[in-house]
Amino acid sequence: MGLIKKAVNWARIKSPWILHFNTGACNACDIEIIAALTPRYDLERFGVILKGTPRHADILVCSGPVTRQIEDRLVRIYEQMAEPKFVIAVGTCACSGGVFSGCYNVKGGIKSVIPVSAFIPGCPASPKAIIDGVVKLLSSLEEKPKK
Amino acid sequence: MPYEEDVKQKLTSKFAYLEGNARVTRPRRIFLEAETKNFLEIFEYLVKQLNFTHLCAITGLDEQDKLSFIYHLAGESGVLVNLKTSVPKENPVLKSVISYFLGAEIYERELIDLLGAKIEGLPAGNRYPLTDDWPVGQFPLRKDWKPAMDKESEVGKDA
Amino acid sequence: MPDTNKFKIPFGPQHPALKEPVSFSLALKGERIMGVGIRLGYNHRGIEKACEERTYIQDLYLIERICGICSHSHSTCFVQAVEEIAAVEVPKRALYIRTLIAELERVHSHLLWLGVAGHEIGFDTLLMYAWRDREVVMDLLALLTGNRVNYGINTIGGVRRDISGEQIEEILKGVDILEERTKYYIEVATQETTIIKRLSGVGVVSYEDALKLDAVGPTARASGVDRDVRRDDPYAVYGELHFDVITDKHCDVYGRTVVRVKELMESYKIIRQCLKQLPDGSIAIKVPRKIPVGEAISRYEAPRGEDVHYVKSNGSEKPERVKVRAPTLANVQAVKHMLKDRFLADMPIVIAAIDPCFSCTDRLISVKGVNSKNKKIITWEALRAYGIDWYRGRGIDFTKISNDLRKRLEGI
Repeated sequence: MGLIKKAVNWARIKSPWILHFNTGACNACDIEIIAALTPRYDLERFGVILKGTPRHADILVCSGPVTRQIEDRLVRIYEQMAEPKFVIAVGTCACSGGVFSGCYNVKGGIKSVIPVSAFIPGCPASPKAIIDGVVKLLSSLEEKPKK
Repeated sequence: MPYEEDVKQKLTSKFAYLEGNARVTRPRRIFLEAETKNFLEIFEYLVKQLNFTHLCAITGLDEQDKLSFIYHLAGESGVLVNLKTSVPKENPVLKSVISYFLGAEIYERELIDLLGAKIEGLPAGNRYPLTDDWPVGQFPLRKDWKPAMDKESEVGKDA
Repeated sequence: MPDTNKFKIPFGPQHPALKEPVSFSLALKGERIMGVGIRLGYNHRGIEKACEERTYIQDLYLIERICGICSHSHSTCFVQAVEEIAAVEVPKRALYIRTLIAELERVHSHLLWLGVAGHEIGFDTLLMYAWRDREVVMDLLALLTGNRVNYGINTIGGVRRDISGEQIEEILKGVDILEERTKYYIEVATQETTIIKRLSGVGVVSYEDALKLDAVGPTARASGVDRDVRRDDPYAVYGELHFDVITDKHCDVYGRTVVRVKELMESYKIIRQCLKQLPDGSIAIKVPRKIPVGEAISRYEAPRGEDVHYVKSNGSEKPERVKVRAPTLANVQAVKHMLKDRFLADMPIVIAAIDPCFSCTDRLISVKGVNSKNKKIITWEALRAYGIDWYRGRGIDFTKISNDLRKRLEGI
């Protein structure tokens, strides 16, 4: 890949900015995502920073089975992110709907709405699993840029 | 005498028609069933005279040709009175108890959205919990409603 | 500083054509809130309906996931109702284990709340320490149940895992550490003038109003309402334990903070009693798959307040009706009342103080001037930052207590 692309990619791997979004989850995955950022697990040592707006984010970290009310908003957030962008589905609900698949008002997993780059299963996904997933995604970026 | 027995006795002596319709299922639990026309007077008596000052919840049930509502009231000594009344499904009209409990508003809105109850006396306000674009006439908690029914009747939305 | 607000709205100005209603709409006069409209339902997943199509055991796992923070509360409340209909006597040992996990859950939840509340007012040091301490409890829960969250310890008829002598030792050690640290949180909450100034008079609900609005849990107890299901309508083994119900007369966010930190101490008391009095015996009784016809209503004092489950059975393997009234639904009505005539800057902490559990994804706030047509939509993050700056301009600064807290808590 070209030099500029390599530099951008390197910057992205070294310091991905993430946006956390809950699409109707029970909160378990969300508190584990937040716990992953607290000193015991410290996702920040990988240069990961939590941002408040999709326009500054590289990675969208999503939990929840996508309720009917939230679907449009999820799509809108994804569209507001600049390319290249990645989506991580955290938790079994985000992967496939989990225990809520089949419930009315639930779409069933993030991938039914937007493309997902990495799936981290678990109910909830533990902070260790979340870190593992994020690191795996980042290392896959080193090999080739994902679209 | 345990307090729940005392409450039951007071109720059946005040409202003769409750005889046979009031059961103590276990310590601190009374279940009552009354017709809609008598409902409010029992409710008033429980809240005002017997000090059942906490409305825990209102459960709506689909019982084939009728909709039933159980008002769960908590009082002294941890006793819970579960007062049930029913209305016909074709005309499920009920009076709001918001004048007794401000908190009843959101429980009643839930009955309207999910079971199709028609509750008189509620102020204007947002619905709960369904979306504004939920198809009219579809009540998820009714027994004949199946998930995906809301998708069949949606216009211009991907399933 | 890691941004750990679980109530964040993760994005900026909305497109005006967004058809979804916002979660809160405020009518403002200058900086004062004149009216509040609340729109809920974003987390509505159709669980009650799904319960009717699944067996009781499947429902147990579904109901546990109503809320990840108080999953054991929902699970236990449900299973108690089913066991009552089935008329089974759950072994005492199982009830003790349930109570133990219940109090450990209360500890993790209150510490989580303490951190979040700190974050909302700009006192991030408190967040870091409270969440660090919370990891002690998470470790204990993982040790006992195999998971940090969503413990899956209940089964119909008892619990699924027993507890060993070694685990009891670990729990006692953990509780000792937490009790030491909690004492400092109580000191900070009750004596630090900055905290008192920041939280007093905010989110006021008088005793009479708390009764009228039917508030529950710490929100009600902070207004002097002496209500706690553990004492009033005992379940599990609370009838055999000694503990105090903490109430406070301040009626505001300060009171809600005091109630929660003091409740932590009561929880440690209860945990120690449970471990001391833990009887021998089996941990579950077999219950048939088909539950006889009947109905029951179960109440539970979750960390957020009274949780109510009603179950009706029809003699089959699947319930006829399951109704859940989570504590936050009872408290959310009080929020409108709390915000009336208050400053916009108070909004984040007032809402955080009822410890809302509506798995809030999208607290979008729409504000418009009382006499104007212009409506602006702001994010939670922006509102939080606004609140912190507004109070900083009025002399509220947490630098000194941050340093004090750091000095005291390091090394415990």
